Amino acid sequence: MLKINNLSAAVDDGQKTILEGLSLDIPAGEVHAIMGPNGAGKSTLSYVLTGRDGYDVTGGDVTLDGDNLLDMDPEERAAKGMFLSFQYPLEIPGVPTMTFLKTALNAQRRARGEEEMAAPEFLKKARALAKELKMKPEMLKRPLNVGFSGGEKKRMEIFQMMMLEPRFIVMDETDSGLDVDALRIVADGVNKLRSPDRGMLIITHYQRLLDYIVPDRVHVLSGGKIAASGDADFAKKLEAEGYDAYAA
Amino acid sequence: MTHMPLKLDTLPTRRDEAWKWTDVRGRVDESAAGLSVAGLPKFTLPEGVTISEVETDDLDTDSAMAKLARNFGGKVWTIAVPEGFSSETPLIIEGLNRGHIRIRIDIAKGASLSVIEHHAGDAGGFVNIDMTVTLKAEASFDRTIVHSDPADCVRIATAHITAWNDAKVTQHALSFGGALSRIETRLAGMGKHIEATLNGAYLLDDKRHCDMTSYIDLAVPDCTIRQAVKGVVTDKSRGVFQGKFHVRRPAQHTDAEMRHDALMLSDTSEIRSKPELEIYADDVACAHGNTIGQLDESALFYMRQRGIGLAEARALLTEAFVADVFDDMDDEELRESLLVKIREWLE
Repeated sequence: MLKINNLSAAVDDGQKTILEGLSLDIPAGEVHAIMGPNGAGKSTLSYVLTGRDGYDVTGGDVTLDGDNLLDMDPEERAAKGMFLSFQYPLEIPGVPTMTFLKTALNAQRRARGEEEMAAPEFLKKARALAKELKMKPEMLKRPLNVGFSGGEKKRMEIFQMMMLEPRFIVMDETDSGLDVDALRIVADGVNKLRSPDRGMLIITHYQRLLDYIVPDRVHVLSGGKIAASGDADFAKKLEAEGYDAYAA
Repeated sequence: MTHMPLKLDTLPTRRDEAWKWTDVRGRVDESAAGLSVAGLPKFTLPEGVTISEVETDDLDTDSAMAKLARNFGGKVWTIAVPEGFSSETPLIIEGLNRGHIRIRIDIAKGASLSVIEHHAGDAGGFVNIDMTVTLKAEASFDRTIVHSDPADCVRIATAHITAWNDAKVTQHALSFGGALSRIETRLAGMGKHIEATLNGAYLLDDKRHCDMTSYIDLAVPDCTIRQAVKGVVTDKSRGVFQGKFHVRRPAQHTDAEMRHDALMLSDTSEIRSKPELEIYADDVACAHGNTIGQLDESALFYMRQRGIGLAEARALLTEAFVADVFDDMDDEELRESLLVKIREWLE
């Protein structure tokens, strides 16, 4: 599914190297977690995978189902199935949530050569999912994320994820800003999306989220590369012992 | 009324402070269609509103463009709205495509009138419209301007609005510019407790120019003024905003807000902005704000990450930026038609 091979990346016009030879293979059906200290390059990895401007790939390659992601624009990657749940979801003033999401969904469908989803079907799906995520129906009418609390924004990310049904999901610090109840709702949503033909990469500073979304593999990101890997219990060990042993 | 051709040196030039960014003299030559003749506007009147042609040399103003309208525009199209009048049907003004045009609208006590003006010029045209509107007590005037000219058409449209007590003025202007265009609105508050909303948006590409100028002169207490103008410029276009609130000593308890916000979508486009407050009354709340910026790169990336292509993401964000100046329009259908025009421009 997602194969990251010897990936290096820099910011500040190539002045500052963040990732240095990172390799990771996430097969379909698996959930991997990346943990690491602040500044290890966790968010950089999420932006490099999704093609944000200002993050320059200086070496290596990334493929999703064998296709080279690094050659694609962000929207092409999205249509291919890449989804990033943002650490800080953006507010989009003036664009109602439903308009935004319908535009996104149908743009992806068009790019894949599929038929657009008709309005009634879209609405029905959106209402059902909003209920499942315990979101107020008014939230869907309001401009996207505008005036939403941190927790509401994160829930909105999961809502979008469930509407768009991506092939591969990257979650960047999804648990930040969530109280325990919201965390459980979000985790339930994510767990429902686990499937044999979908992969996930969870980027997190704390182990807490991984109590709710149990990963197949846990990796430590340090010094721009994977410094160690283990199973779900490895996260608990990291939480207890800290990242010092893996310092670059 | 003169039959001599218009002398170009009677046009305003950039040496006039009020015209420093909109140089009419510099953009017009003798070949302009309609330069020295009267225009022929077309009016569709709601039932109960009357129109007549009145011959007069009187002028309420000494502005250069008003004088030219008097000299070349001929009779004044004079529209009378009787006392207490109200109608779902708007007055529609079309045929504002070339020449000098003088229009006078008298709205009697307690009457309300909606006007939709379609400003669409001829290729190579010159248009000079001088409009005078008087609102008696408790009258209301709801004006919508839709402006789109060919790239070589010059247009100056000036409205002088006089409002008496408890009158309400609402204006929404949407402009896609022209070779040179100016929509100027001058409001004189003569009676207390006037409410005015003067919103507008300009979206310009190529080498188009649009100037939205306004002058609000208040000499009476308890007036509320809201002004929000949004601009979008790209290519080598130029947007001009000049807004002035003149709050005279008797105009206590004035509550006035002026905003101009513009997006520059290219490095070669231009915005010139001059918000002005001149205040002599001491118990007032007057504010102005002026910003010029670009589309938020983070928001664009967020939208692209969800699969929305760059062009569509830009269009959505730009529409959202502009559209809110039309949010308060009463006529939902008319508002939607303006949004459709904005979307067409963005495509």
